[in-house]
Amino acid sequence: MIGIVLFKTALAVYLVSAVVYGISLWVRRVLTARFATGLMVAALAIHTSSFASRWLAEGLSPVVGLHDALSFFAWVMAAVYLALQLKTKTRVLGAFVSPVICLIMVVASVELGGTVGAPDMLKGSLVTLHVMLSVTGEALFALASCAGLMYLIQDSLLKRKKAGSMIRLFPSLSDLDRINNLCLLWGFPLLTLGVLAGSLWARIVWGSHWQWDSKQVWTLLAWFLYAFLLHQRLAMGWRGRKAALGSLIVLAILVVLLIFGKLFLQTVHNFV
Amino acid sequence: MRLILIGMNHKTAPLEIRERLQLFCGDQDRPLPELMRLTEIREALYLATCNRVEVLARITDNGEAVEGLKSFIYRRGNLGREEMEKCLYLYRDLEAVRHLFRVASSLDSMVMGEPQILGQLKDAYRMAVDCRTTGVLLNRLSHHAFQVAKRVRTETGIAGNAVSVSYAAVELAKKIFGDLKGRSILLIGAGEMSELAARHLLRQGVAGILVANRTYIRAEAMAAEFRGSPVAFERFPEVLSEVDIVIASTGAPGYIMNAEMVTAALRRRRNRPLFLIDIAVPRDIDPAAGEIDNVYLYNIDHLQDVVDANREGRRVEALKAEEIITEEVAAFERWFNELEVVPTIVALRDKVEGIMKGELEKSESWIRNLDEQERSRVEILASSIVNKILHDPMTGLKEESREKDALPFVAAVRRLFKL
Repeated sequence: MIGIVLFKTALAVYLVSAVVYGISLWVRRVLTARFATGLMVAALAIHTSSFASRWLAEGLSPVVGLHDALSFFAWVMAAVYLALQLKTKTRVLGAFVSPVICLIMVVASVELGGTVGAPDMLKGSLVTLHVMLSVTGEALFALASCAGLMYLIQDSLLKRKKAGSMIRLFPSLSDLDRINNLCLLWGFPLLTLGVLAGSLWARIVWGSHWQWDSKQVWTLLAWFLYAFLLHQRLAMGWRGRKAALGSLIVLAILVVLLIFGKLFLQTVHNFV
Repeated sequence: MRLILIGMNHKTAPLEIRERLQLFCGDQDRPLPELMRLTEIREALYLATCNRVEVLARITDNGEAVEGLKSFIYRRGNLGREEMEKCLYLYRDLEAVRHLFRVASSLDSMVMGEPQILGQLKDAYRMAVDCRTTGVLLNRLSHHAFQVAKRVRTETGIAGNAVSVSYAAVELAKKIFGDLKGRSILLIGAGEMSELAARHLLRQGVAGILVANRTYIRAEAMAAEFRGSPVAFERFPEVLSEVDIVIASTGAPGYIMNAEMVTAALRRRRNRPLFLIDIAVPRDIDPAAGEIDNVYLYNIDHLQDVVDANREGRRVEALKAEEIITEEVAAFERWFNELEVVPTIVALRDKVEGIMKGELEKSESWIRNLDEQERSRVEILASSIVNKILHDPMTGLKEESREKDALPFVAAVRRLFKL
């Protein structure tokens, strides 16, 4: 199937791009990172065409099942990061974003072809909307955390007066903070809408908006944590270090809970 | 090659001697006519900057030309022969080429990687062109040197990083704020270094500048100079919430800015980052202020560390630059060797064509009887035979010269054809 071939090619090019980004950190040259960015653009194009071919072959709803959701997650991260590249001078940030994309793509490739025939209850445009919005929202949060991590490193280099080529290589604090801010600002409403779409669908298939399911609780917690973070940013004037640290801590909590939930908890929401 | 470079720079000659040799940086054209009067010199370039005086020349005879150049320098320096001899360096042929490339690429400069030297070399070349003292060799060599300088600049990081304290401050500011357009500065106290840093920042598009000084009149004068506005000294803690970069350089015996002031200012500015530059000795700003989130405090030693690290970085880049120069010297050598065979090729061509023309003239009597078309056919036939015969030896000479020293071949051709 051509979609799978394209997906695997995209994964390979993402990996090469991540390696070249790594090299750019090693040799401390922006020029190398520029080359890696080009590779990432190519990978994104291939990745997009893999979705397109899937869509043409199977009709609507290309994002059902864990494989698709993860693949879409990686796609959003790459697309949004590259779009932000145009506005800010944050080329080297790719060295933090591309490994995350690769990791997610690798996990997605394990699940490749896992759920080919989705259950009937997962067919409908509301489900597609729910998955796409939530995944986009979460991918943006992941991107916010990448920028946050880089912010913390650059901040500590500047604070500890680590004179050297690393400070020069890394993007400016203001650009990183702006990306962190933008991703939170856009990710939060998207996640909110995604959750709403999901609960509407739950009302239709399960008869109630809310089941106290572990996945639902987890998502609500995530929503509250991000709401808190956004509130601190907008109302309390958090910016810079605190905001970056906040987004990293929230992401860490969520990843730990996700793994914990996957291992120990039963859920009715066991498709993704 | 018969190329010679003689001169002195900041490493070989003390300031007093360099001074004598070039009384002011601008008089680059006057020595050129004098140089060209030396009989052995065919082309000349005279470069004089604050750190070096050099003469580059194409000569006809080694021994006499060197003596002539040396005595020219002694005359101009108006100093004893022995005293000058110690300061001079002398490079011939490819060594001279390498030296010129290194000078153009700023590898030989006092502050390695500084950009001015290339401009000065271009001026010197323009002057020589105006005085008509350059020919094929120096024209080509000069343009090649400009290209090498450009290549070194783009392919290595030799000119990349700030090597002055005030410029290091600008680079750090960019790493904090990204674009400096629209940011504002507060200058507390006066001083050469703080004014220099302020000037650098203004050039980066910084929007506003506030000046605070214990003596208000002084603040007003400085503000006028930078087109900023003066602030009463007691009010500076208040304006901390409005500016992004603070440069402090007062002569106060203790700290004038403490952590509480900065914390309060940060609350008012909703945690927007603040860059504090303390270049006063003794320090003006309590180091505790640097511990606060989103505040970046650099004192004179920190900035000096940045500069030192950058200097070290330049040294590493210089090694890459030397490799580029070695490559380019080889490229120039290839060109030059080809150049050396050109006169021989021309002479060979002239001779054979002369023979052809002579033979045609001898046969004039019967050629005259031919009609127009036939006559031109005979001429074409003769010249195509000549061209076919010459083709292999000529390309052979060129190819040989590209690989190695062409002189034995040139000599053989000259002897065989009695050129």
